[in-house]
Amino acid sequence: MGMAAKTGRGRVRLNVGGRVFETTADTLASAGRDTMLGAMLDASWNAGGHDDAVDGVAEYFIDRDPACFAVLLDLLRTGTLHLPPGLPEPTLCREALYYGLLDRVRAARAGEFDGDRLRLAASVPGRAPGDGTAVRAAPDGGCCVAHGGAVRVYNWLLEERRPVYLDHAPVNDAAYLDAATLLVAARERPGNRRSDGGGVGGGVAAFSALTGDLRHRFRVAHGRQPRSFTAGALELDASSNRVFASCKGRLNEYGVGVWDCATGEQADFFYEPPGCALGDADKLQWLDNTNTLMVATMFPRTDASFLTLLDFRDDKSVVWSWTDAGTPASLEEKRAVHAVVLEDGRSVCVVNQYDDLGFLDLRKNAGAVRWSSRSKLMMASAGKNKKAAAAARGYEETCYPKLAAHGGQLFASTNDTISVFSGPDHVLTSTLRGSGGGAICDFSIGGDRLFVLHNEENVFDVWETPPPAII
Amino acid sequence: MSSAPKKRGSRIEPFRHRVETDPNFFDKSWRKLHDAIREIYNHNASGLSFEELYRTAYNMVLHKHGPKLYEHLTANLKEHLEEMRTSIEAAQGGLFLEELQRKWDEHNKALQMIRDILMYMDRTYILTNKKTPVFDLGLELWRDTIVRSSMIQGRLLDTLLELIHRERMGEVINRSLMRSTTKMLMDLGSSVYQEDFERPFLEVSASFYSGESQQFIECCACGEYLKQAERRLNEESERVTQYMDMKTGEKITAVVVKEMLANHMQRLILMENSGLVNMLVEDRYEDLTRMYSLFHHVAEGHSTIRSVMASHIKETGKSLVTDPERLKDPVDFVQRLLNEKDKYDNIINVSFSNDKSFLNALNSSFENFINLNNRSPEFISLFVDDKLRKGVKEASEEDLETILDKVMMLFRYLQEKDLFEKYYKQHLAKRLLSGKAASDDSERSMLVKLKTECGYQFTSKLEGMFTDLKTSHDTTQNFYAASSSDATDAPTISVQILTTGSWPTQPCSTCNLPPEILAVSEKFRAFYLGTHNGRRLTWQTNMGTADIKATFGNGSKHELNVSTYQMCVLMLFNSADALTYREIEQATAIPAADLKRCLQSLALVKGKQVLRKEPMSRDISDDDSFCVNDKFTSKLFKVKIGTVVAQKETDPEKLETRQRVEEDRKPQIEAAIVRIMKSRRVLDHNSIMTEVTKQLQPRFLPNPVVIKKRIESLIEREFLERDKTDRKLYRYLA
Repeated sequence: MGMAAKTGRGRVRLNVGGRVFETTADTLASAGRDTMLGAMLDASWNAGGHDDAVDGVAEYFIDRDPACFAVLLDLLRTGTLHLPPGLPEPTLCREALYYGLLDRVRAARAGEFDGDRLRLAASVPGRAPGDGTAVRAAPDGGCCVAHGGAVRVYNWLLEERRPVYLDHAPVNDAAYLDAATLLVAARERPGNRRSDGGGVGGGVAAFSALTGDLRHRFRVAHGRQPRSFTAGALELDASSNRVFASCKGRLNEYGVGVWDCATGEQADFFYEPPGCALGDADKLQWLDNTNTLMVATMFPRTDASFLTLLDFRDDKSVVWSWTDAGTPASLEEKRAVHAVVLEDGRSVCVVNQYDDLGFLDLRKNAGAVRWSSRSKLMMASAGKNKKAAAAARGYEETCYPKLAAHGGQLFASTNDTISVFSGPDHVLTSTLRGSGGGAICDFSIGGDRLFVLHNEENVFDVWETPPPAII
Repeated sequence: MSSAPKKRGSRIEPFRHRVETDPNFFDKSWRKLHDAIREIYNHNASGLSFEELYRTAYNMVLHKHGPKLYEHLTANLKEHLEEMRTSIEAAQGGLFLEELQRKWDEHNKALQMIRDILMYMDRTYILTNKKTPVFDLGLELWRDTIVRSSMIQGRLLDTLLELIHRERMGEVINRSLMRSTTKMLMDLGSSVYQEDFERPFLEVSASFYSGESQQFIECCACGEYLKQAERRLNEESERVTQYMDMKTGEKITAVVVKEMLANHMQRLILMENSGLVNMLVEDRYEDLTRMYSLFHHVAEGHSTIRSVMASHIKETGKSLVTDPERLKDPVDFVQRLLNEKDKYDNIINVSFSNDKSFLNALNSSFENFINLNNRSPEFISLFVDDKLRKGVKEASEEDLETILDKVMMLFRYLQEKDLFEKYYKQHLAKRLLSGKAASDDSERSMLVKLKTECGYQFTSKLEGMFTDLKTSHDTTQNFYAASSSDATDAPTISVQILTTGSWPTQPCSTCNLPPEILAVSEKFRAFYLGTHNGRRLTWQTNMGTADIKATFGNGSKHELNVSTYQMCVLMLFNSADALTYREIEQATAIPAADLKRCLQSLALVKGKQVLRKEPMSRDISDDDSFCVNDKFTSKLFKVKIGTVVAQKETDPEKLETRQRVEEDRKPQIEAAIVRIMKSRRVLDHNSIMTEVTKQLQPRFLPNPVVIKKRIESLIEREFLERDKTDRKLYRYLA
């Protein structure tokens, strides 16, 4: 760097809003060439020598707030973020954005996601009580909450952006295509029918997560005839850039629709074979290692639970399936209410309404669920919680347990608690209880954060892993 | 206290909805940036303050002027680029590329600085609205305004292709300028590089090499042509590393391969006087290596080389094995086969990188032609016989091992392995009985090789022969130990007791033994039958040897090593001076053919004439008379009288062996049929045929007609029956 050579000692003096900071060119350059500070010191901007050089030390003036700059300079020097009291975080972030250091700030705020070291970082109260359906984490640390006919979108500072509506149709699911694009699956409203056969509400659409503008509507055609449909669960396959959605058409066209994200056009449609409830699916999960899609349609949405693995290559086929239909219907019967394929892609974990975990082997067909007693949730306070659960079921819509797998750990929600299981045998290692927003109706992991949506008043909690201790 | 003025003062100000910004804010700010961009393009940026410009752009975006700023920027960049275009267009001749390059460098530098100023817009407005980032926008404008402008696009391509053509013709060009120009195209995106340069480049190259290859093939020999092709391929890939995208390497190689090699493949490989066959004949390893590696790129290339090589081997092999001249000397015949095999092994090893598929082709070709001559099994056995007889005398044991290993290669090609076994047994018997087996180790090593190749069954009888010799040795010792006190004057005999069946059966032609011998042998018979109950002992006088001490009329003493027949003849002369053929025949009762051969070897072999024949003719008639040659001299004390050595069979013998082999095959085929039927119970005719053939393949290739006959015979003997409804089905009868 020409500048460094001229000053000899590589020292730089910065006058930021009247306060003088002295540092080295190396420290500033460590921010990267594509930041304001990196560009300012680059040779191309200092070709003519520096008029303001005093004692051989280059001096620059920056017309910004010195208090924030002090924090950011400290971040460049130490790699850690220390926010002094009285300096609001949004202000710091605004300044970081000016210098191009926002990513650094974000990275320094929290450590790498670890289910056993989570800390409650924030609790955000929602607006419409009681009807939250889903919370989804964005890849950049933001999130969205689907409730009723709207999806509320939050950036990673948990500031609310413009909400997303798909003709105000009830939203079933949402998914982030990338940090700036949000997919929404919504229910078609009966009666609202056009003469051309395409309904108004419902279906799948892509929105800008930043502005809330509608970007694209994904259409389904049956026999070259575009038809309106109700979209259920959404899933993405990042490697081939495809979107999957469970679909229910008006004329019994049930199945799983597939779209190419690049063109936005329908790529395929897997019609529901007899005995597999695909169109009603609660959850889709793409399995990279086997190139298959797991479709889970669970009790109580349907009378029985169905799990299916679909292969979309050449001749579309069902490669694995399981159902508990036909088992004796006693009251105490264990029904799988949620499922997730574990990260090794070899087995499915299911959970029943009594919070037992069970496992199914994906490499064997026609196997039975192996219920695990060892991983029984909430063993420590079983009695108390059973009572609470019973009470909860008594007067309001039940929140059934849900599952997620992330970073080798298994997460399960029960009531108002998230349980974390680790290791190959899925041993309970942590329980997380948040702000007290009532039972958990959904949770999601992404962008190094865990978002937990509670049933009462749509409070959602944000859990983060604190940065590792310095000493 | 005055309230009135106060009241007047408390006038409510009209509510102001928003703070009005300077209406000229955008224009003022843009003017600043506009001027700065002009200074940057004029290489006069030293007076600019980055911080000020960055802040200006930041404020514009902050006050929602992002779209307008983006629009103005686009228009402004375009203006600058149009200025540049004019100066590039004006550049003459060779300066064109240089000027283009200079302007490209300038634009790049300027673009970098403009991007620095507008970095905040990149991060916010452009990201949110999915616009093209500033730097990429600059590249797109360069592409559309300059690289693809009507005056420059064609000229640029022509210049590049012209330079490449000149380089192909041997001129030196400015490679670094080429490199930076193609790099510019790549920087503009791989599609620009491909469409504006690579595709036309490949087309022009195709027509260049199509022409050049036509020219070469008219005047070059195959080897020379391939050298040219190799040189061109190397040149092209070097060119790619010098100044093109790495991905072009594969494509240009494909073009050269197609034009220079694939299109002329048949003509090159089959080229008269210089093609593949010629290279093989002359062992031109270097050319062969080149051909192999070049045609690796061509689909069907290796398979074509392989099939031409295979048919050449078959052709030369066929003429070798069917040449009547060659049949005269079996050892030479096999040696030639071995040499041929060595030759191709070397070629495949050195030039064809030991390619498995080529080795397979070689093997199947050999298998094909070796079996064209039904005497091959006999000859190979004779070759082994020759080697094992001479054994260590000529070669070290290691060399012998390698030779035997090579012979085993030939053995593997044989379809009639049982025929080989037959001959090998005969030859081995002769070797063992005449004591000519040079090395026991080598004999056994050969047996092990055969065993690993064909299994225990194949060699069990051969091993039995070795065991027989060992026990015979012991028995003879025991015999003398038991009768040591008796007449020490009697001749010593060494008896080899051969188990019937293990040894090749010979028509048992007895002869009258001399009384001295007869006495000893009768004694031995008594001894042997005394120790072994229920056995029968027959003398095979045609297979023995004897050492006799002879004192000639001139006083010279010699020890003669002769066959049993010869001994019988010589012993007659202890009591007679001269005998006629008829007398000898009567006295010994040796079969005429053997006797004649035996007398010829005693009387007519130069330097070993123990007997004299009257008259001295070659043929022997009944009235010819023989007497001891008193003038017999030899430098050696021990004289070996030639016995009839193992040699290739005469025609009637051959026919006999063949018949014996055919006869032996019958029970083997029947056994195979029964084995198969026993496990399958019911089977149709064709399946039996294939299964039997498969089972017996390691030993011989059964003739379908013979199999059919065997099936019929088994039906007759009620092992099998035909199905009542489907005549093609056979049933096994337990």
